[in-house]
Amino acid sequence: MKFDLQNRHLEAKNTYKIALAGNPNSGKTSLFNALTGARQHVGNYPGVTVEKRTGFCISNQLRFEIIDLPGTYSLTSYSPEERIAQDEILSGRYDVVMVVVDSTTLHRSLVLMAQIMLTGAKLVVCLNMSDEARRAGQRIDLDQMQTLLGFPVIETIGHRGVGVQPLLDAIQAALISGTEKPRLVLGEQLDGALAAIQSKLDLGGFHPKTLGWICSRLLVKDKIYEDKIQREAGNAMAVDEARRQRQIIESQTGVDISLFVTERFFGFVDGLLKEVVRQPSRLDARALSDHIDKVLVHRFFGLPIFAGVMLVIFWLTFTLGETPMDWIETGFGHLGDWLSGFWEEGSDSPLRSLLVEGIIAGVGGVLVFLPNIVLLFFGLALLENTGYMARAAFLMDRIMHRFGLHGKSFLPMLTGFGCSIPGIMATRILENERDRLTTMLVLPLMSCGARLPIWMLLIPAFFPPNFHAVMLWLIYAVGIILAFILALLLRRSIFKGEDAPFVMELPPYRLPTTKALVQKMLERSWLYLRKAGTVILGISILMWLITAYPKPDKYQIDADTASGKSIEPTSQDIESQRAFENLRHSIAGRLGRLIEPIVQPLGFDWKVATGMIGAFAAKEVFVAQMGIVYSMGEVDEGSESLRDALRRDYPPLVGLSLMLFLLIGTPCMATFAIVRRESGKLKWALLQFGGLTLIGYLVSLVVYQIGRWLV
Amino acid sequence: MTLTGALEDYLETILVLVREHGFARVRDIAKARKVKSSSVSPALRRLNEMGMVNYVQREYVGLTDSGERAARRVLARHDILTRFFSEVLQMPKEASAQEACAMEHSLSPEAMDRFVRFFEFLHICQEGKRDWLARFQCCPIVQDDLTSCEHACNLINEKNHPMKENSMSVSDLLPGQTGKISQIIAKGAVRQRLLDMGILPDVIIRVERLAPAGDPVWINIKGAQMALRRKEAKAILVSET
Repeated sequence: MKFDLQNRHLEAKNTYKIALAGNPNSGKTSLFNALTGARQHVGNYPGVTVEKRTGFCISNQLRFEIIDLPGTYSLTSYSPEERIAQDEILSGRYDVVMVVVDSTTLHRSLVLMAQIMLTGAKLVVCLNMSDEARRAGQRIDLDQMQTLLGFPVIETIGHRGVGVQPLLDAIQAALISGTEKPRLVLGEQLDGALAAIQSKLDLGGFHPKTLGWICSRLLVKDKIYEDKIQREAGNAMAVDEARRQRQIIESQTGVDISLFVTERFFGFVDGLLKEVVRQPSRLDARALSDHIDKVLVHRFFGLPIFAGVMLVIFWLTFTLGETPMDWIETGFGHLGDWLSGFWEEGSDSPLRSLLVEGIIAGVGGVLVFLPNIVLLFFGLALLENTGYMARAAFLMDRIMHRFGLHGKSFLPMLTGFGCSIPGIMATRILENERDRLTTMLVLPLMSCGARLPIWMLLIPAFFPPNFHAVMLWLIYAVGIILAFILALLLRRSIFKGEDAPFVMELPPYRLPTTKALVQKMLERSWLYLRKAGTVILGISILMWLITAYPKPDKYQIDADTASGKSIEPTSQDIESQRAFENLRHSIAGRLGRLIEPIVQPLGFDWKVATGMIGAFAAKEVFVAQMGIVYSMGEVDEGSESLRDALRRDYPPLVGLSLMLFLLIGTPCMATFAIVRRESGKLKWALLQFGGLTLIGYLVSLVVYQIGRWLV
Repeated sequence: MTLTGALEDYLETILVLVREHGFARVRDIAKARKVKSSSVSPALRRLNEMGMVNYVQREYVGLTDSGERAARRVLARHDILTRFFSEVLQMPKEASAQEACAMEHSLSPEAMDRFVRFFEFLHICQEGKRDWLARFQCCPIVQDDLTSCEHACNLINEKNHPMKENSMSVSDLLPGQTGKISQIIAKGAVRQRLLDMGILPDVIIRVERLAPAGDPVWINIKGAQMALRRKEAKAILVSET
C-alpha cells in the first residue's frame, strides 16, 4: 500500500502519540516490539496491576511514542482493562489509534475496531498474523476495505516484523489526513437513536468527536457515563433522551439494549466482511492444532501430560540454574574476600563489614535468584507463546475455581515451590486483577526452596528417622491446603464479588520465535532486577545493620580466656563465641529477646526469635543464624552438633510449632518487596506480611498449646 | 323468510329457558325479553312457520332441531362478543353483555365469521395470547396515555423466558454437537462478555471438547475457539440446528 506523503508536512520536532489497541492474543505485543525494538518501558497504569508499555520509534524523521493499551475484546467498562483502554482512547491524548486485528478471527476482532470508530479517533487498522490467515486460504481485498472504512488498512506479521514500514507510513498518512467522519453504519434505528441523544447533549467539556461514543454509552445505560454527564455537564436531558430511545428500541425489537447494540456492531462487521473477503479461510485450517489437542487436552491424559510438562520445566529451572547460582555465590564470595584483603586480617572495620557483609552479600542475594528467574520465565514464555498455557488453564480451571482461583493461577503457585519471587512475578499471566492479587497473597504458603534447608535441619533434629518423609510431606501439604483455604476466604471477603467471566480464548498452537521468547524473558528478569533488586538490597543492608550492631565493648570470651576461666580455647571457639556475643548484643538479638514473651506461648525462646528475624532476610538464613546463636560458627543444615543442641533445648512439639511458623509466618523480605512492586500498593504487601504472620502465630499457638495439654 | 335480529333474540331466549327449565312458557319469554306477552305470540307464530319452534302444549314452546341449531349459533356469537369485550377490551361483565347484544345482529355473517376465527386464534395460540395480548393490556402508551412504555414489554419478555426452561443450553451439548443460539440468559458483566465474544442469537455454536471434569467447555463460534465455564455455558440457550 502506497501513501502520498508528499506536499504535506508534519512538524518533525513533535512527538506523535500512537495508541495500540486490540484483542488479547492478537499479536499486539509482538507488533509493539517490532515497532519499538528495545526502546521501551514497562510499568503499571496508576493504581492497578495492569501492565503499561511505552516505546518510541522514528520514521521519516518523525518521532512516535507508542503506548500499548491493555488487550480487550470490547470497550465496555466492565473490567479494569476495558476501562483503561476506553479512558485512554477517549482522553484525546493520542494522535492515532492503531487497532491490531487477528486476521484469523476477523469476525470477532473487528468489532473492537467498530467500537473505536465510534469514539472519533483517527484510526489505522493492521490485519496481523496475515501469514497464518493466508495459509488458511483467506484473501482480503485491502483496497476495498480501505475505501469502505475511510482509513488505512495494513497487513502485518508482527513476530517477524513484516509490514512495519508500511504501517508507519500509514500512521503518517493518517496524521496528515483531514478529520473525516468514520464510515460506521449501525443501521437506521441505532444511528437515529444516537443522533437523537446527541442533539440533547451539551458539549460540556467533551471533545465533539467523542460524542457518538458517549451517546452509545448513555443508550446502554452505562452508570459511569450517566453520572459523568449529570455531574460534569450538569444536564440530565441527554440521559432522559437516552432512556426514551432505549425504551423505544426495546419495545420495537423486543430485545434488551445491550444485545441490540452489540448485534448492530457485529452486523456492521458482517456487512464489511461480505464486501472485502474475496475468499474465506478453509474449514480445516486448524486441523493440525486440533490433532495436537486431541492428545494434549485429552480428557484422561491431558492432566498427566501437563504434570509432566511442568515437571520438565521445573527440573530444568532448578538444575540448569544450579551451576550459575553457584558461580554467582562463589563469585560474590571471592569478591568479598578480595575486598576484605584491603583490611588487615581480623579487622572489625565497620566499612569493611558494610561493604562485604552488607552490600556485596545483599547484591549477591538479589542476583542469586536470577538464573532461576531467567530460566523459569523462558519456560513460561514458551508455554504462553505456543498457546499451551491456555490449554493448561482449561485443564486446571475446575480444581482451581473451586477455591476461587483461576485456571492459570496454578502455574505461579507451582512456581512458588521453587521460589516465591518468580512465582509472584508469574502472576502476570493472570489478566484479572482480583485473580492476580488472590494468587499473589497466598503464594508464599507454597513451601519454597529456601525453606528446604530449614526442614532438613529441623526434621532430623526432632523426629525419628521413619517419620522424616512423612513430616516433610506434611509440611508441604499444610502449606497447600492453607493456601487454598485462604484463597477461598479472600474471595469471600476482600475480593468479594462475582467471578470475572471465564471466557478464555484458545488460539491455535503457534511456533514462537526465539526473539519473542528471549525478549519476554529478559524483560521480566530485568523488571525483577531493577524494581525488586533495589528494595531487596536496601532491606539486606538494614538486616546487616541490625545483626551486626551495636557491638559489645568487650567480649566475655576474651575476659574468660585472659582470666583462665575458659581453658585453652581454640581460635575457632573464640571466633564462634564472639559471634554469639555479638549477635546477642545486636539489635536483632535484642529484638529477639524483646519478642521472646510474645513467642513464648508457641514454645520459642529468644534464640529461636533471633533466628526468625534472620529468616525474614531470607528463609535459609535461619539455619546460619541458629548456628551463631549456638556458637557453632558457620553451620549448614547437615550439622549434627546443631541438631543435638536443638534436641537438648526443645521438645519435638516445639520443633513442629517452629516448622509451622516458619512455613506460614513472616514471608521473606524479597517476597515483601516483590509483592509491593507487583501489586502496585504497599497495603497488599503489608496485608500479606501481617496476615500470614498472624495466621502462622495462631496455628503454632494452637498446635503447641493443644500438644502440651495432650502430652 | 329471514331470521331478523328480533327473532334471533327470541330463539336465544327460548334456548336459555329450555336449558334451564326443560321448557319455555310465553310468560317467561316475555319476562326475559322485557316485553308484553301479547307481542311474544306473533314472533312465536312466525318462528313456528319457519319450523324453528313447535308448541308442545298451549302455553309451552320447544325448539325444533333446526331451531336449536340456529339458537346455538346466535348464543355462541353472543358469547364470543361478550368475552371479547370483557377479556380483550377489559370492559365490565354487565356492559360487555349489553354491547354484545347491540352488536351481534349488525355484523354480517362474514365479518362475524372472521371475528370468531381471530378470537379462536387468541385462545388456541398460547404465544399470541401471552405475548401480544399481554403487551396490549399493559402498554402504558395506549392504556394510560403516557409518552413512553417504561419496559412494559420487557416485563412480559422476562416473565415469558422461564417458560423456555425445557430448552437446551450449550452445557447439554456433547463434544462434536452443534446448536443454534436462541437466547443468552446471563446478566451483567458475564452477559456483556459473552456478547462481545460474538455469542449472539442465531449464531451456530459447536462444542469441541470438555475438560477432565466436564468443566470448562471448549466451544467454537465462527471458527474462533474459546473456553467457558459450565455456569456460563448454561446461560446460553440453544435450539437444534
